[in-house]
Amino acid sequence: MSIPYRQDMPPPGGFEAVRYKRNLPFRGPSGLAILGAVTAVCAYGFYRVGKGNLERRELQREKVWSRIHLVPLLLAEGDRDAYRRQEAMLERERVIMKDVKDWEPGKSVYNGPRYRSVESIVIL
Amino acid sequence: MGIFHNPATSSNPYKDDTPLPDSVPKVQELGVTSAPLKSAAFFIAAYCKEYNEDFMLCKNEAGGDPGRCLKEGRRVTRCATDLINKMRENCFEQFEAHWDCLEQNNQEYFACRKPERKLNQCMFEKLGLTKTIPGSPVGQKQIHEVENPIYTTLQR
Repeated sequence: MSIPYRQDMPPPGGFEAVRYKRNLPFRGPSGLAILGAVTAVCAYGFYRVGKGNLERRELQREKVWSRIHLVPLLLAEGDRDAYRRQEAMLERERVIMKDVKDWEPGKSVYNGPRYRSVESIVIL
Repeated sequence: MGIFHNPATSSNPYKDDTPLPDSVPKVQELGVTSAPLKSAAFFIAAYCKEYNEDFMLCKNEAGGDPGRCLKEGRRVTRCATDLINKMRENCFEQFEAHWDCLEQNNQEYFACRKPERKLNQCMFEKLGLTKTIPGSPVGQKQIHEVENPIYTTLQR
C-alpha cells in the first residue's frame, strides 16, 4: 500500500499571531505622575500657608493699632479716676493729721520732683 | 478710722465715692463698651488725631502723674464723644451692625468685613473719615480691603 505524498501546510489564512505580550490590567498612573501631583499639591499648599502668614501679620497689625488708637481715650478716663482718688486720699490725710504741727499731707519720703504713685491704700 | 486693710483679701470691693474736686471741670465719660469702641477705633484715630497726640505727649512729659494732663484728657474724651454721636447720627445702622457682629465674633475684625465695608463707606461719604492702618505694606491693599482673604469665618 502506498501513501500519497502530501505537504503539511499552515491552515488557510495563516496561523494566528503568537500572543507573547503579558496581558496585565492597567494599574493606575505611574509613580512619576503621582510624585509630580503630590509635589504640585504640596507646593500650592505651602504657597497658601505663606500668603496666610503674611495676612495674619496684617490682621495682627490691624488689631494692635485698633488698641493703640484707644489708649489715649482710656488713659484719660483712668487718669481722672486716679486723680479723684488721689485728691480724696490727700483730703483724708489732711483731716486725720490736722493736729500734727508742720505736717504736709501727701509729701513724698523721697526728695525729688519725680512722681510716685502711692504704694498702699487705706480703706475706711 | 484709718485702719489698713489689704484690698486683695478684703471681703467687699474698695470703693471711694468722693467726687472730683470742684476745681476740675466735669466731663461726661464716654461710657461705650468694648465692641463699639473697637468698631470706632480707627475713626477715633482719624478724627481726634491732634487731641490724642497732644494728650500722649503731655503724658510723656508728666511722667505718670495723673493730675497734670487732665485738660488734655478732657479734650480727648470730648472729641471721642463727639465722634460717637456723629457716627450714631449719620451711620447708625451700619455702626450698629458692625459692632453687633464684632460682639458675636469674639471681636475679630476679619469675621466682620461685610458690615465693616458698609460702615467704612458710610463714614467716608458722610464724615470724610477713612480707615488707614499705619505701617501697612506700601503698594498693597490694606488688610480690610482685600477681596478674597485666606482667613475667614467658616460660613462666609
